[in-house]
Amino acid sequence: MFEELSVFALGFAATFLSMPVVIQRMRKHRIVGVDVHKKDRPVIPEMGGIAVLLGLTVSVTVTAVLMPEKTGLLASFFATTLIAGVIGAVDDIKTLNAKVKPLLTALASAPILLMRTYSPYPVFPIVGAVRLTIVYPLLIPFAIAVPSNAVNMMDPFNGTMSGTCTIVTLVLLFSSLILGRSDAALLSICLLGPLLVFYYYNRYPAKVFSGDIGSLSIGAALGAIAVLGQLEAVAVVAFAPQIMNAFYGLATVGRLYERREVSRPVTMLGDGRLMASTDPKAPITLARVTLARGPLYEYEAARVFIVLASIAGVLAVLTAYLTMVTP
Amino acid sequence: MIRRILDFVFVLLFIWACMILGLWVIDSAIVPLQLLGVTDDVMTAILKVAISGAMVLVWLWIWREMVKRMFWRAVKSQRHSVDNLQSNSQSKETAEHGKLQERQMKG
Repeated sequence: MFEELSVFALGFAATFLSMPVVIQRMRKHRIVGVDVHKKDRPVIPEMGGIAVLLGLTVSVTVTAVLMPEKTGLLASFFATTLIAGVIGAVDDIKTLNAKVKPLLTALASAPILLMRTYSPYPVFPIVGAVRLTIVYPLLIPFAIAVPSNAVNMMDPFNGTMSGTCTIVTLVLLFSSLILGRSDAALLSICLLGPLLVFYYYNRYPAKVFSGDIGSLSIGAALGAIAVLGQLEAVAVVAFAPQIMNAFYGLATVGRLYERREVSRPVTMLGDGRLMASTDPKAPITLARVTLARGPLYEYEAARVFIVLASIAGVLAVLTAYLTMVTP
Repeated sequence: MIRRILDFVFVLLFIWACMILGLWVIDSAIVPLQLLGVTDDVMTAILKVAISGAMVLVWLWIWREMVKRMFWRAVKSQRHSVDNLQSNSQSKETAEHGKLQERQMKG
């Protein structure tokens, strides 16, 4: 227990101390983005994900020192997250092609495959353990690319990406405790501290944006926890809002796309409220579906996302329980 | 606000229940399936994976259709309420205009 608390506290502290420095540096170097859903369109520092990665570096290092037997697991987890973060950083500086990004993030799964830290016997509710020695390694690149890109696509309002990912991490932590998966619990604790701090800075009104460095690395980290901790089915349910958002967008546009290539799904009214676009060419994203029933202020729309992630979280914990009772 | 959340809760519950049901069907019907005329184990396994894959695609299609319909229905109802509001305000304006004209005539 002492080890887990130390990991959480040090990851939290490292991100909390580094975030103001990152914000200052980004502002100084003009690495900023416009918050388009505010009337005064404030300029917000980007790439806050750097502080999350710094915090994760600290928490993973502390875990490796306290539990040296977990070094292989931690190394594959951290290397996967770091590769996704580097791809995100490149995308933040020089925008990558919409088709290249998923391919590159799939490559981030290489450490897990090369170090063979996965188990090809996933456990599903009702079905139980399944032997997938040939198919499972082929699915791992998808298990990293899908969550990292889905998380990257679900960042429409202040605090939605950070808030929903914090909930997913908590759900993975609870589920790992229910199922007795100590590896998944440890990795979730490593990620939880940095994510909580990031949510504090990113919630409405945002003081920092994650940038692709943050969203891709956080998504890859969550995918890696699902694979390394054997929480595949739980993660699919917990990720339902992110999957919904990405899937609807792709289904309406009919191909992989960059945000700049398509019409905006959300427009702003004169009073600052946000409204679903009526443009038939705009992708049907979760934000657009949320606003279809009428305009909302940004903080209200963000709250709907958090509630939705919480409901998906409850269903995911229920999935974990069903997995546990499956003979 | 609650209506919006309830829409999503319904979709999430339906999709989750379909997933659990699908897993049960795979476990109890597809895995023990003996395919007529297919004796090769590898071929049988490939066919079972293909059937399960088709089930996943149907699941995704239902999911997409549900949300598409939910979205356009919400947009339409929103348009109706906006139209009603506009027509109500127009009829109010016409009535007020009529009253004003009546007063002016009396004056």
